[in-house]
Amino acid sequence: MDNDQLELLRNGDQALFAQLVRDHHRALIALVTPIVGSSEAEEVVQNAWVKAHGAIASFQGRANIRTWLGRIAINEAKMQLRARKKELLFADLSPDQAHSDPLADNFRPGGQWQQPPANWHCDSPDALLMEADLADCLARLLTGMPANQRAVLEMRDSSELPFDEICNTLAVSASNARVLLHRARAELFKLVNHYQETGEC
Amino acid sequence: MLKCRDLVAEADLLLAGELSWQRRLAIRVHLLMCRHCRRFMRQFKLLLSAIPAMHKPASEAEVEQVMQHIQQQGGKPLDQRPRGE
Repeated sequence: MDNDQLELLRNGDQALFAQLVRDHHRALIALVTPIVGSSEAEEVVQNAWVKAHGAIASFQGRANIRTWLGRIAINEAKMQLRARKKELLFADLSPDQAHSDPLADNFRPGGQWQQPPANWHCDSPDALLMEADLADCLARLLTGMPANQRAVLEMRDSSELPFDEICNTLAVSASNARVLLHRARAELFKLVNHYQETGEC
Repeated sequence: MLKCRDLVAEADLLLAGELSWQRRLAIRVHLLMCRHCRRFMRQFKLLLSAIPAMHKPASEAEVEQVMQHIQQQGGKPLDQRPRGE
């Protein structure tokens, strides 16, 4: 979003606000789902949009707008947990050290590549994950991912929240958050690499 | 000596700028020698830049539902606000 659009948005352009919803609604649902669960994520994000609508005039554009919206959605998610007297407890909050790196099988015992990465055909970030077949596989991967991994991935790589904020929100140590993020990214890399190599996943 | 597996394990820290200069130097030397790792790093960075766009846009029905919810909660349609509010 450029500065002119931002100014229009702050000054009350409804079509631009609707575009904001179009662009970010599903990412916000994905962001809060690991925190409140899929049954309550929609309600949380609906309430977050009300808050964002009320505060948009104060958005200065210093942060990425996805990050700004993500903070509002996470605050709503925390409020929802408090209202329901629930705590944020992931069953597998600490990374399972026995669980190997998703890319471990790609290496020989000596640490060199056994199955090097394929040469990906797509070099556009916007198109890479949007191919219809891959998008379906990606959705399944994300749905099946442990909630703590998914939460860190959505917060860091989709909403671009800073690491200290992620650790505070999820009550995980920085080292655990790093391991969780690495595993989530490695799972994604493995999926995309296989798709690029074989055309299926 | 740094192995390909080490580079992959440390790629996140490298991109986050959290490795020592000695480790960064070791990775740079390794990348000069290893085309597989160069490809990995190039494609790993591409993947990370694609993640913010991995969620599809909301449907028109979803957008309409959100806009209606805002109005029901007392939010004025944005384009009816005075300019500069």
